[in-house]
Amino acid sequence: MLVLNDVYKTFRMGETQVNALRGVSLELPVAQFSVIMGHSGSGKSTLMHLAGCLDVPTRGQVTYGGMDLTSLNSRERADFRSSDVGFVFQKYNLVSNLTAVENVALPLLLRNTTTKQAHAQAVEALNSVGLQDRMAHRPAKLSGGEQQRVAIARALVNDPTMILADEPTGNLDTATGDRILNLLSQFAGDDKMVLVVTHNPEIADMADLVIYLRDGQVESQQFQEVAR
Amino acid sequence: MKLNLFRLAMKNIRSRRTRSWLTILGVLVGVTAVVALLSIGTGVQEAVLQQFEDIGYDIILISPMGAAGGQARSAMGGFMPGAAAGGRFAGQTAADTSATSGGTFSPGSLGQDTSQDAAPQEDLAQLRDALRAAAVTSLDTELLLTQVPQLVEAGTLGTQIQPVVAGTTSGFLRVSTPSLDFLEAFSSVLGGFSVERGSFFTNTTENQVIVGARSADLLGLSVGDDVSINGIAFTVIGILASSDQAAEEGTDSDGVLSGQGLTQSLGSGNSADLVLRGLTNTDDSLFVLNERASEVLVGRSQMSVTITRVEAGASISAAKDAINVAIGQQGASGTPISIQEVADEIQGTLSLIETVLASIAAVALIVGGVGLMNTMYTAVLERTREIGILKSVGARDGQVMTLFLFDSGLMGLMGGVLGLILGSVLSVLGTRLLGPSLGVGSFSPIIDAWLVGGVLVFSFVLGSLSGVWPAWRASRLNPVEALAAE
Repeated sequence: MLVLNDVYKTFRMGETQVNALRGVSLELPVAQFSVIMGHSGSGKSTLMHLAGCLDVPTRGQVTYGGMDLTSLNSRERADFRSSDVGFVFQKYNLVSNLTAVENVALPLLLRNTTTKQAHAQAVEALNSVGLQDRMAHRPAKLSGGEQQRVAIARALVNDPTMILADEPTGNLDTATGDRILNLLSQFAGDDKMVLVVTHNPEIADMADLVIYLRDGQVESQQFQEVAR
Repeated sequence: MKLNLFRLAMKNIRSRRTRSWLTILGVLVGVTAVVALLSIGTGVQEAVLQQFEDIGYDIILISPMGAAGGQARSAMGGFMPGAAAGGRFAGQTAADTSATSGGTFSPGSLGQDTSQDAAPQEDLAQLRDALRAAAVTSLDTELLLTQVPQLVEAGTLGTQIQPVVAGTTSGFLRVSTPSLDFLEAFSSVLGGFSVERGSFFTNTTENQVIVGARSADLLGLSVGDDVSINGIAFTVIGILASSDQAAEEGTDSDGVLSGQGLTQSLGSGNSADLVLRGLTNTDDSLFVLNERASEVLVGRSQMSVTITRVEAGASISAAKDAINVAIGQQGASGTPISIQEVADEIQGTLSLIETVLASIAAVALIVGGVGLMNTMYTAVLERTREIGILKSVGARDGQVMTLFLFDSGLMGLMGGVLGLILGSVLSVLGTRLLGPSLGVGSFSPIIDAWLVGGVLVFSFVLGSLSGVWPAWRASRLNPVEALAAE
């Protein structure tokens, strides 16, 4: 379970202080598809970054499976991201001069996996998202939907326990977006924690838990029954 | 980390091809300069040392570098600025030229206009005094061998600058006066003293001269011809084989010693240099036996060096001490100097020159390193988002830094490899162009394992060091901010 306990995050932009999160407390169970909704600037992405150890809170505590993420140093946070977290971004965030299979293999290569083993696992991950024919293509040669599937394959290749997606369908057409969401919801059924940050209310309909943020605070959270 | 750094770095270099190659070019230029200068410098040193080895480290020269030599240098110091303009040595007194068989001696008679380059008379008077001061009483070498039991062989080699007339051609040339025992024991010092046409000296009572190959061409001499040296008729009995050496320093295009060359020859820092400079280059000299020259050219301006060989196993320094005593006993003047000392002195000078040149080349290399740093810094700015991606998938700060360091190190290494190849090619070409003018005979650039290994390691380290600051910045980037970069 991911637990946020009275978490604050403050940014300084020049002379201005921005309070992105203001005393957020949440409990996000595993094996569930959770969605965080809210307007722009409500603190959705910041919350996702803290959950995935990309950033640290200004105040408060974040724990995952009982481990205090806020006490980790830079190296331990990197290791946590490597072993437990898979990120999916709106802009895909693939390395432009690497092929699809190289992009997917990247997290494994950073974890001391041999090149041969990493390649084999990357191929398997790309197969699972239906991209077996596009492995040698660079991102620029792939469509938006294909790039996002490569990003999902990369998020999955380490077999993480937590998948964090920030507007994963934001740049995709409806059909492609639905396909991506089906993939993500399928992982929640595989005992992974899936947390999606979105503006899209249709995605909320697929979620087990919907959290609304407003001005850096939890406005509401709602559990719902979803057939999966 | 088993991340394939090489492949990733190569991909980065390829994806920014033009800038990467320009950066590599910067390192390449520096490495090329270092390799070319060091390999040529080492080659020259080896060639010079080989010449000393050929002469033999068991040899002690007895040169007039003591009192007489010092006077000569002092006098030459005053003369050199006037002569350094490169004017032809034109001074001759009436007494000097009265006996010239070709009529009045004309310094410019090799087709030059003499009116413009005649040296001032007072300078010539100084030069003449200097030449006389430089003269040294020849040691009695037979007596020397009995006085210094460590010596096994001894011979005398004199050097004079004399007006020479052959038919209608005239000029000042070097006249070497080796003694018979010198030619027997130390002919290797004179490049073997190989007579190509005619014969070796047949006696010490006739005026016989053996002419160097280039001098023979210059003066149009054949075996049997007559040649006037300082107004005294000599018969050419032999012409030496060419040593394929460059024309002597200070010798003009006609082979005639200019004033500068003459003063440099006689007034340079070490009179042993004079002897050694001319030792293997026999092409520009005329040779008269010392035994004969001391009769007919006696009293003329000359430098005389006695060369001795120390018996195997004997102490060189002890032999030098004994020689000093013997010189005093003979009432002569001179200072013994071993070939080892001369070699050390010349090697020291060459090493200094090499170090200065290599330092200049190193500046070019550092400039290349700065260019590399600039490229890497720009790359960090351009790849900020990529750094964010790497961190989001679990890359540690150290891994990001290593990746960038490897990137810059690889570019440095590529510049090093290409510079090594280009520098090697240039050093071979440079050797062919410079070899003759350096006067050290044929030599090859030395590109040994140390140079190759050193250059490759240094260029990789230079590349990596140039990337340290940009790589450190990259590693410290906040992943969220890096991912937000456009």
